[in-house]
Amino acid sequence: MGETMDSLTDYSAPTLIEGFAQVVAVEGKMAWLVPEQTSSCGGCSSAAACSSKGIGTISTRLEARRFQLVNDAGLRVGERVVVGIRENALVRASITAYAIPLAVLMLAGALAQWIAGSDFVTMAAMISGLVLGLWLARLRSERMMLKGELAPRFLRRAGMGETCNS
Amino acid sequence: MTEYVLLFISAALVNNVILARFLGLCSFMGVTTRIDTAVGMGLATTFVITVSSMADWAVGAYLLEPYNLWYLRTVTFIMVIAAAVQFTELTVKKVSPPLFQMLGIYLPLITTNCAVLGIAILLVEHKMSFIEATVFGFSSSVGYSLVMVMMAGLRERLALADVPRLFAGPPNGFIVASLLALAFMGFSGMTS
Repeated sequence: MGETMDSLTDYSAPTLIEGFAQVVAVEGKMAWLVPEQTSSCGGCSSAAACSSKGIGTISTRLEARRFQLVNDAGLRVGERVVVGIRENALVRASITAYAIPLAVLMLAGALAQWIAGSDFVTMAAMISGLVLGLWLARLRSERMMLKGELAPRFLRRAGMGETCNS
Repeated sequence: MTEYVLLFISAALVNNVILARFLGLCSFMGVTTRIDTAVGMGLATTFVITVSSMADWAVGAYLLEPYNLWYLRTVTFIMVIAAAVQFTELTVKKVSPPLFQMLGIYLPLITTNCAVLGIAILLVEHKMSFIEATVFGFSSSVGYSLVMVMMAGLRERLALADVPRLFAGPPNGFIVASLLALAFMGFSGMTS
């Protein structure tokens, strides 16, 4: 707060979004990590403690989001680390997952309404458009994955008691 | 075609779901601290609202109306919205696991977003056709996303401003939200 930004700061350069994750397994050169819950309540580091295990709970939801990292840093099970992804990667991922299927859906619906003018035909065209859009999203996400745009990077080990609010 | 353009402008700007109807305020205040999270939440909500508007219209037209079950509409629409969110979550997970890892955290928040239910109830109360309901759902959610991103941009700048301690954070956010709502009131002058 109250910091002044110098005029040479490059605002166009993509910054990294940092997050906390815990190492849950190490397999050879790869480490498996589970992200910690981040929410407006700020209870990131207590996510595992504030919910019991079960279908649909925060714990199982976070376990479903397990990801792999190359273990160059020699991480061990139980360690907390700070990982980061490029800020624009989140926006590009959102556009791929949601905007592409939605655009194809709306385009198909508009075309069907213009040509046929019937609710049934429009509905069928929109569902087909959604399926096509999801397929296009899959192709694009595979390309992004091959370029490594969706992979989080290891930044540093988290300090003792370090949270997303500190 | 003109009626759909007017419907879009009306739902996105004049009767904006956040600043004119005051729906979805929890996510508006909670997820607008960074632009990238606001974009992620906005796009996810746009997708879910559009898909659930289509499903809600179909359920209303082919189930609730023929069997005279309108008194069950709120419960039914909540179920449809929950199903739409689950569908979206499963689809994103299946289509692209890396995208699910990155974006999956926003989806559960949408289930409890009152804007989604509010739009579903509005579209059946106005007795819209299928295409009108879809355009209404899509444009309302575009308006929602627009305001989320605007607010996030303003809050990112405000975080750097030297404001009195008592006003820092949410109090400042509420003041900015009220000023935005006042600005959006100006759009109501565009319609007769």
